[in-house]
Amino acid sequence: MTQGIEGSATIYASEEYAVHDEPYYLPIADEVELFETAYAQRIPVLLKGPTGAGKTRFVEYMAYKLGRPMMKVSSKTGQEAEHRMPLITVACHEDLTASDLVGRYLLDTDGTHWTDGPLTRAVKVGAICYLDEVVEARKDTTVLIHPLTDYRRLLPIEKLGQVIEAADGFLLVISYNPGYQSALKDLKHSTRQRFIAIEFDYPPREQEAEIIAHEAGCSREASIDLARLGEKVRNLKEHGLGEGVSTRLLVYAGKLMAQGVPARRACQVAITWLSRTTRKYNAASRK
Amino acid sequence: MTIVGELLARHHERLSGFPAPLEQHYEAGLRALSPRLSPNQLQSWAETGVELTALSLRSWEAAVEYFKAGAELPQSATWDAIETLGRESVQMAGESAPLAVSFLRSSAATMEAVGPSHVRQWADLGRRLYKGNWKSSSLAAQFFDLAPTVFHVLRIGQAARLVLFIDELSRHSYELASACLASAPTVLQKLDEDDRLPFIAFAVELAQSSWADSRLYFERGSTLIQKVHSPVRERYLILSAQVARGHNRSAFQYFEEASASLGELEPDDHHRVIELAEQLAPYSAYAAMDFVTSVPRVLERIRIDELEPWHNAGLRILEASHDGGEAYFRLQSTRGEDILETLSARIELSKIGEIMRLYCKALTGRNVSIQTAESLAEKGIGWVEEHRASTDGSTIFLPEVMERFHEKDENFAAMKVFATHQAAHIEFGSFDFVFDRLGGVFPLRRVAFALAREKPATTDMEEYFDLFPERKLASDLFTIAEDSRIDSRVKREYGGIRRPLARMQQEELAKRPDVRQLPLRNGFVENLVRASLDGVDAIRWPKDRAEAMSRALGLLKAVHTDEAMVEDAAEATLALYEIAISIPNVYENMDEGAWDSVEPMDAGQAMPMQGGESGGDGSQMQLGSSEGSPDDAEYESPQEIDFRGDFKPELVDLLMKLREDAKMGQGGEQSPAQLTPEQLAELLAKSVEIDLDAMYDGDLDASTGMFMNNLMKEAGNPASEKGDQNQPTSDNSTGAGEGEEELIPIVTVYYYDEWDFRAQDYKPRWCAVKESKLEEGDDNFYENTLREHAGLVAQTRKQFELMKPEMFRKIKRLPDGEDFDLDSAIEWMVEKRAGASPNEKIYWRRNKIERDVAVAFLVDMSASTDEEINKREKKYDDDDYDDDPRKYLSWWVSKRRQELTSPPKRIIDLERESTVLLMTALETIGDQYGIYGFSGYGRDNVEFFVIKDFNETLDTKIKNRLDKVTPIRSTRMGPAIRHATFKLMETDAKVKILVLLSDGRPQDHGYGRDRTEKEYAIHDTKQALNEAKREGITPFALTVDRAGHDYLKTMCEDMGYEVVADIEALPSRLPALYRRLTE
Repeated sequence: MTQGIEGSATIYASEEYAVHDEPYYLPIADEVELFETAYAQRIPVLLKGPTGAGKTRFVEYMAYKLGRPMMKVSSKTGQEAEHRMPLITVACHEDLTASDLVGRYLLDTDGTHWTDGPLTRAVKVGAICYLDEVVEARKDTTVLIHPLTDYRRLLPIEKLGQVIEAADGFLLVISYNPGYQSALKDLKHSTRQRFIAIEFDYPPREQEAEIIAHEAGCSREASIDLARLGEKVRNLKEHGLGEGVSTRLLVYAGKLMAQGVPARRACQVAITWLSRTTRKYNAASRK
Repeated sequence: MTIVGELLARHHERLSGFPAPLEQHYEAGLRALSPRLSPNQLQSWAETGVELTALSLRSWEAAVEYFKAGAELPQSATWDAIETLGRESVQMAGESAPLAVSFLRSSAATMEAVGPSHVRQWADLGRRLYKGNWKSSSLAAQFFDLAPTVFHVLRIGQAARLVLFIDELSRHSYELASACLASAPTVLQKLDEDDRLPFIAFAVELAQSSWADSRLYFERGSTLIQKVHSPVRERYLILSAQVARGHNRSAFQYFEEASASLGELEPDDHHRVIELAEQLAPYSAYAAMDFVTSVPRVLERIRIDELEPWHNAGLRILEASHDGGEAYFRLQSTRGEDILETLSARIELSKIGEIMRLYCKALTGRNVSIQTAESLAEKGIGWVEEHRASTDGSTIFLPEVMERFHEKDENFAAMKVFATHQAAHIEFGSFDFVFDRLGGVFPLRRVAFALAREKPATTDMEEYFDLFPERKLASDLFTIAEDSRIDSRVKREYGGIRRPLARMQQEELAKRPDVRQLPLRNGFVENLVRASLDGVDAIRWPKDRAEAMSRALGLLKAVHTDEAMVEDAAEATLALYEIAISIPNVYENMDEGAWDSVEPMDAGQAMPMQGGESGGDGSQMQLGSSEGSPDDAEYESPQEIDFRGDFKPELVDLLMKLREDAKMGQGGEQSPAQLTPEQLAELLAKSVEIDLDAMYDGDLDASTGMFMNNLMKEAGNPASEKGDQNQPTSDNSTGAGEGEEELIPIVTVYYYDEWDFRAQDYKPRWCAVKESKLEEGDDNFYENTLREHAGLVAQTRKQFELMKPEMFRKIKRLPDGEDFDLDSAIEWMVEKRAGASPNEKIYWRRNKIERDVAVAFLVDMSASTDEEINKREKKYDDDDYDDDPRKYLSWWVSKRRQELTSPPKRIIDLERESTVLLMTALETIGDQYGIYGFSGYGRDNVEFFVIKDFNETLDTKIKNRLDKVTPIRSTRMGPAIRHATFKLMETDAKVKILVLLSDGRPQDHGYGRDRTEKEYAIHDTKQALNEAKREGITPFALTVDRAGHDYLKTMCEDMGYEVVADIEALPSRLPALYRRLTE
C-alpha cells in the first residue's frame, strides 16, 4: 500500500491509480461504444490522431466508465472499496527500453530486488495500460507488446524466467500520431495488425466550442470564437504549424480569457507562438 | 590733296607689288575711315596695314583683311579699338599670317558683338589656342571665324571659359575640340543666359576628367539640362562639376542619369532635391549625384516629405563611411533598403504575398494562391482591370501595391480587407451557385421563371442570368446583393477585420455620387450600393416612391442573415430586379423636401409571394424589361467599389466548369457535358462580364477566338491544389498557379545579396544564381576512375566502413539503465562491505548513436582549372642524352606515347576524380551529400550546376553528369556558397558540412572595383562562409593553389582550410580530409 499524502499531492502506486471523478469527455462519434465493445472482447485499441485532440482524456474517461460498475475487494488491503479500473499510463520516449516497461533489479541495503515495471503491474492487476506515443519507444518493446496483444495475452519476463498471464481486466491501449513521425519511426506492420484503430481528429466547430466552454469556463461567445480560430489555424497545417492548434491549447487560451486576459493576448501566448516562422534564409527569392 | 589721296600715293609703291585687291581695299578702308579719324590716326592706321604686308611672305593677305575690315568697322569702334586691333594683328601676323587673316576677317563683326573695349582679350583668346603647329593654328582660326557668333551668345568672360574648355580638349584631340567649338554657338544659344557659364564650367571639368565625353555633353547636354528646373540649373551644374573634379571617368554618365531622373520629378521639387544633394556633396560628390538619380525610384515608395529622413539616414552613413554612403544612395545597400522599407507606407504584394496566401488559406481552407491583378489581366480570359482585386475561384488576385494611406499598418489592413473579400467569396460559396437549390432565406422562385426558357444553359450561373432580359442590370444587382452578403458575413465571422472593413466602407460611401443627380433607376441601384456599404442613413429617395425602396432594402437586409446563401442573393436579385424594372429611369426634378431617407422594410414583408407577382399562373412567368418609355435614360452601372474588386460569377462558373471538363478529359473519360466551342461562344456573347473590346483590338471574331483559346488554356491547367509548391523564383506572384505545365524547371534563378566590405553592407539581391542540372555525358568516366584508382578506392571504402557507427553503444556506470554493470556492481558490493559509501552508478544502457551528416561539395569549374599539371615534365638539360639526338628522340617519342595513352591531367580532372572517390566513400558511410559545380560570368549569371542533389540517389544519370564537369568561366564564390548553404539548410541533418574545392582565389567580372582587385571578392567569400557558419554549417575550403595561403588566411580566418600542395595527392587527400572533418 503505497497510497499516501505527501505535502498536498496524493501519491499512488502506479497500479492503484484510477480515475476517481468522471472526466469530461464529449463523444464526437461512436468512439465510446467502440471502445466498450473492444474492451469487452479484450481487443487491443490503437488511438490515432494529432496531439491535444483528446486521446488521453478519452482513455481516462473510458477507464472511469468501464471501472464504475465493478465492486471488488482490493487484493492487497482486503478493504472493500468501490473498485475502479486502474489506468497505467506510460509516456514513451526514444530511450524507453523493454526493461523500463517490464521491470528490473534494483539495489538496496539488503541486496538486489526485482521491481516490476508499469506494464508488468498492469498485467498483474488487470489494468488498462496506455502506452502514449508508442512509436517513440525502442524497437525491443515490440517484443513485449506482441504476445500481449494476441490471443495469448502473455508477458514474458526474461530476466526472471517468468511468463505472466494477463489478469482479466488487462487491456493494452496505445496511441499513435501519424502526423509528425518520420518514415523511420513508423509503426511496424506486424504491430499494426494487432489493434483496432480509433481515429481522433479535432472536433467540429460546434462541439469544440462546447468543449472549450466547459473546460475553460469562458463565455459561449469566446468559445465559439476560439473554435473558429482553431479551425482557421488548422487550415494552415504544414505551414510551420505542424498540425494546427490543438483543442488543448484552445482550452488554455479560453482559460486565460476567462480569467480576464484580453483575448488577443491570450491567443498570442497560447496559439501564435506555435508558428515558428519558416527559416528565412537570405535568399530573397522573388524579383 | 586730301589726306586720303596723300596716303594712297605714299604707300602706292609698297602696295602695288601685291595683287590688285590689296590696294583697292586699302583705298576703300581709307575712304571709310577718313571721316572718323584724324589725319594722324588715319596715317597710323595706314602704316600698320603697310607694316602687315611686310611681316612675312603671306602676311599681305592679312593686310587685305585689315584694310577690308577698316571699311566695315562699326561706328562704335573708337580709335583706341582700331589701334589695338592693328597692334594685335601685327603681332599675330608675326606668328602666323593665316591666324591674323581669320582674326581680321571677322573683326568687324566680332567687334560689333563683343564691344570695342575687349579687342585685346578677344585676340588673346584666339592666341591662347594657337600653339605654333598647324592644327592649333586652324583651331584658333576657327575660333576667330566663329567669334562673332560666339560673342553673340557669350560675354567676353564667359568666352574665356569656353576657350579654356576648347584648349583643354585640344590637348587631347584637335578634332574633338574643333567639333565642340563649331557646335558651341548653337548649343549655347539654346540655353538660358544664366545657364551658359555653369554649362561651360562643367564642360571644363569634364574635359579635364573624361574629355572623350565632351562631345556627348555638347550634343546632349543642353537637352538634358533643360530637364532641370531653371532656377536650380546652375547649382545642379556646379554639383555635377564636383563629380568631374574627382577625376571620375563617368562624370558625364552621372550627369546624364541624374538629369534624366530630375526630368521625372516635378520641377517644384528640384530645388529641394538639389539642396539635399548639396548637403551630400562635401562628403562625396558621387553620393550626391547618385542621390539625385535615385530620387524617382525612391519616391515610388515613399512620399516627397519622407525623402528628407531617408536622405538624413544616408547622410549619417556617408559621414561614417564614404563607400557605405555611396552604396546607400546608389540603392545598393541592404541598410538603405531597410530604411526605405521602414519609411515607406506602401505595401507591396511581392513582399506580403506569402502572408496573404497563408491568410487566405486559413480563411478558406483551400490552397489558394495569390497573384497580382495584373497577371490576371494578362491572361486575357475576361478580366481587364489591372489594379482591381478579383478571384477566379482558385487564385486570388490583388493589386500589386497598396498606398492609399500614410501608414504602413493601414495599408496592410487595407490589403487584408481586399484579400478577405475575395477569400470570403470562395469561403462563403459565391461560386457554388446551384440553379435549383433552395436558399436559406427566400423561397425558390427562379425555377418558375426558367420554365419559359427554351435553350439549356451551360452553367448554372448562365442559366440564372438568362432569366433576365436586362442582363447588365441583373448582373449589377446580383453583385450588390452577393457582395453585401459577403461583407456582412465577414463582419460577423471575423472580428479582426471588422474595423478596417467598416472604415473602407465609410470611405467608399464618401465617394459615392449624389443620388439626386441620377436618373431614378440608377438612383435606386445606387441606394442599394449604399445600403450594402452599411450606409442606410445615406440613402435619399423620393418620398412618394418610398415603398419600393423600403422593400428593396428589406430584401437586401434579408441576405445579411447567417442563413443566407448565394442562392438567396440570387432570389433577392430576382425580386430587386422586378422592383428596379418598375422604376422609370428618368430624372426627377424635385426640390429638397421631396427626398427623404428610407427605412428598410421588415424582411418577411419584403419577400415576394411564392410564385411572384409578375407572372400569372406560373407557367408563363417572365421577367419584365424596361423597353417602352423613350424618356428613359440609359441604365448605367453604379460606380465601382474598390475593395470589393471585380466580381465575375458567371465567368468563374464557366472557368470552373471548363477546368472540370479538362480534368475529366485528362482522366481519359469523356465527360458527357463537354462544352462545345459554339456553346462557349454563345455564352460569351451573352455575358456582360466580358468586354472583348476592352481586351483585344481587332475584329470580333478574332478576339472571340483568342479569348476562347486563352480560356481553354487556362482551364486545361488546373491552377488549384498547387499552392503549396513554393516556386523559388517567379514574377510578382506567390505560390504557383501561373498555369504553366508542371515541368521540372531547367534553370531556376535565386537571388542573393552580396557583401560590400567597403560599404560594410550587403548589396540587396545582387547576384542571380542560376541553378541547373549538369548535362549528362559519357558514363565511362566514372567507371574508369574507379578502375584507375582501384587500390585507393578499396582503401577508402575500408576506412569509411570503419567509421560507420555502431547503432548502439553500451554505456556503463549510469545511475539508471537496462541492467547491472557487473564490474560496477561488484565494486559497489565491495565498498559497501568495507563500509565506504558506494558509487551508485552501477547500470549500463545502450545508447543509440546516430550519424546524421549532410555535406555539400562545391566544385570550382572556372576556366583556370583547365591548367595542366606538368609534373611529369622532364627537363631537357638532363645530361642523359649526352647530346645524342637519338636518345633525345627516343625520350620524346616515349613521352608522346605516354601522352597519347593518358593525356596530361588538368586540375579539373583531379577535382573530378577526387569527387568520384569521395562519392564512393560517402555511399559507404551513408551520409547525405550533394555535389555542385559553379562558374559563371558577372553577377547576373552565376551558374550553379547540380551534379548530385541531396535528394538524388547515385545512379547512372549522376555518373554521366560527372563526365561533363569541365572548366567554364569565372569564380564568383560568394553566391555559390550562399546557394550551397541554402541547399544544406533544406536538409534536416544535425551536422552540416560545406566543402569548397577550388584552384584559386575568387574572381569574376565586377567582383571588385576592377579585375585586379582581390579584396572585394575575398571579403564577400569570407562573408558567405561566415553566414554558413552562423547557420550551423561547418565550412571547409580546400585549394590546390600553392599560393592559396595568402587569401585563405583572410577568407577562412577561423575556419578550416587546407592547401593541397601536391595536386596529384588530391584524390587520396579528399576522403581522408572528410573523414577527419566528421569524425
